[in-house]
Amino acid sequence: MKKTILKVENLHYAYWNGKVALNDVSVDIREGEKIAVMGSNGSGKSTFFLNINGVFAPERGKITYRETLVTKKNLKELRKNIGIVFQDADNQIVASTVRAEVGFGPMNLKLPMQEVHERVEESLAYMNITDFKDRPPHYLSGGEKKRVSIASILAMRPEMIIFDEPTAALDPLNATMLEDVLAKLGNVGKTILLSTHDVDLAYRWAERVLVFSAGEIIADGTPLDIFRDQQILEKANLKKPMMLEVYEMLVKKKLLEDSAEYPKTTQAFNKLLDDHVVFLGDLA
Amino acid sequence: MKRIKHNHGEGVRIDYYAYASHIKHWNATFKVFFSLVIMVICIAFNNPYVSTVVIVAMAYITIVKGQLPLSEYLRVLAIPTTFILLSVVAIIFDFSKEPMGLYHFPVGLGYFYTSKAMLKTGLYLTLKVFAAISALQMMTLSTPFSEIISVMRKAHVPKLVIELMNMIYRYIFILLEVSTKMKNAADSRLGNCDFKTSCSTFGSIGANLLVISMRKANAYYDAMESRCYDGDFLFYEEDRAVDKNLIMKAALFIVILIIIGCYTRL
Repeated sequence: MKKTILKVENLHYAYWNGKVALNDVSVDIREGEKIAVMGSNGSGKSTFFLNINGVFAPERGKITYRETLVTKKNLKELRKNIGIVFQDADNQIVASTVRAEVGFGPMNLKLPMQEVHERVEESLAYMNITDFKDRPPHYLSGGEKKRVSIASILAMRPEMIIFDEPTAALDPLNATMLEDVLAKLGNVGKTILLSTHDVDLAYRWAERVLVFSAGEIIADGTPLDIFRDQQILEKANLKKPMMLEVYEMLVKKKLLEDSAEYPKTTQAFNKLLDDHVVFLGDLA
Repeated sequence: MKRIKHNHGEGVRIDYYAYASHIKHWNATFKVFFSLVIMVICIAFNNPYVSTVVIVAMAYITIVKGQLPLSEYLRVLAIPTTFILLSVVAIIFDFSKEPMGLYHFPVGLGYFYTSKAMLKTGLYLTLKVFAAISALQMMTLSTPFSEIISVMRKAHVPKLVIELMNMIYRYIFILLEVSTKMKNAADSRLGNCDFKTSCSTFGSIGANLLVISMRKANAYYDAMESRCYDGDFLFYEEDRAVDKNLIMKAALFIVILIIIGCYTRL
């Protein structure tokens, strides 16, 4: 069993107007997990992220980071090790050049200049934006801004990265770029939390899915368990991933043998069809 | 075909030229101090020859070295021209009851007149002002604002001012963008069809901008806190190497200006 990075117990958070945003949320996040966080707008996903990042202080409940209870004194440790890539890059970029923006986190960590320089250059290269490091954010396109906002989090070298609806407002090319980055980060064992409304993305990328509804986690399990559970899907207003639905239909119509392989990508599906060619051939 | 009106102000234009300039890579501190020294020399000498040399040299640097199109350079220079010409008119003309001076023409009860000396003062003044402005223009058209701020920080301008400048510079563009979007959305629903509607639309956009600014300010603060912001705006900046050759040339130019100034003292 992998070590738990973050342990959240009975988290409760209400806004100033009394609206309860999180109600008794408990969850364990372990090293290297790839978690998709799903749920409709206003179900508490973003509030949850800001709570586990120490930006919002929960009303009740405990957050334990690496066996240390998070208090006001060690908040910085939490913020340093957990980075959030916000949904709207325009709401995240504070500096007036790309380089300064990427260096913002490392500078706040009070690292030596040499180290800041190395981290900035590394993150810029990682996100492939070295060419426009001197440009101000208002001369960047939406996709470029997203890359800058990701680079600015990578430069802090957090253990865990939270992506708040990263694919919203990205064109297909940039969405592919984002998935490549997710895969790259996953390969080096970074723990990733990603909120999305894209069930297909969650199905093919995640290892674990958390479903939020009205401030509570109503389901926590593997994508297969979650997306095959009609009750949960209805409660959280989620659709079934297309690949899963097609697969189930084919099995139901007895066009495919129920091998419980559940292909997650079209490539895997194609391979599955190749392997079952005899079965399909029976039709003819 | 008529060109579609650019709906940003001149300030945005200057900002863009600074980023596109081919002499952007020159050390910012060098550019700022060079232009300030030139400006001081122009004002101190008050000499038409010095001023003319400066005007030509600065235009050369900006247009030839910086690759800014001449038409754009003139357009930017035209912004202060109106003010300068109006104030010069007030200086070279005087009013008197009697016809006097070199040229005069009657207006109502008396005469507007001017003399050779007054014309000379006016001309020298115009040249001096244009020289000083073109020196500053050389700096603003080749140095991105963030770098000017960083020079000011090195010059020990109070931190509060520096942080405010940084934030204002970043957010002015966001505010502009949001207001342009709202204006377009209003236009598409006939929000500006007549004067009365325009007024109320303008009011609504203003009110909305305020609300959005507040909300954005909160979002920014969250984003900053999540990256360990603890009260000090620290930005990472890289210094560009100072080209020794360039400093030599600049020093030579300044010496030449001083020599011209001394030999042609009027």
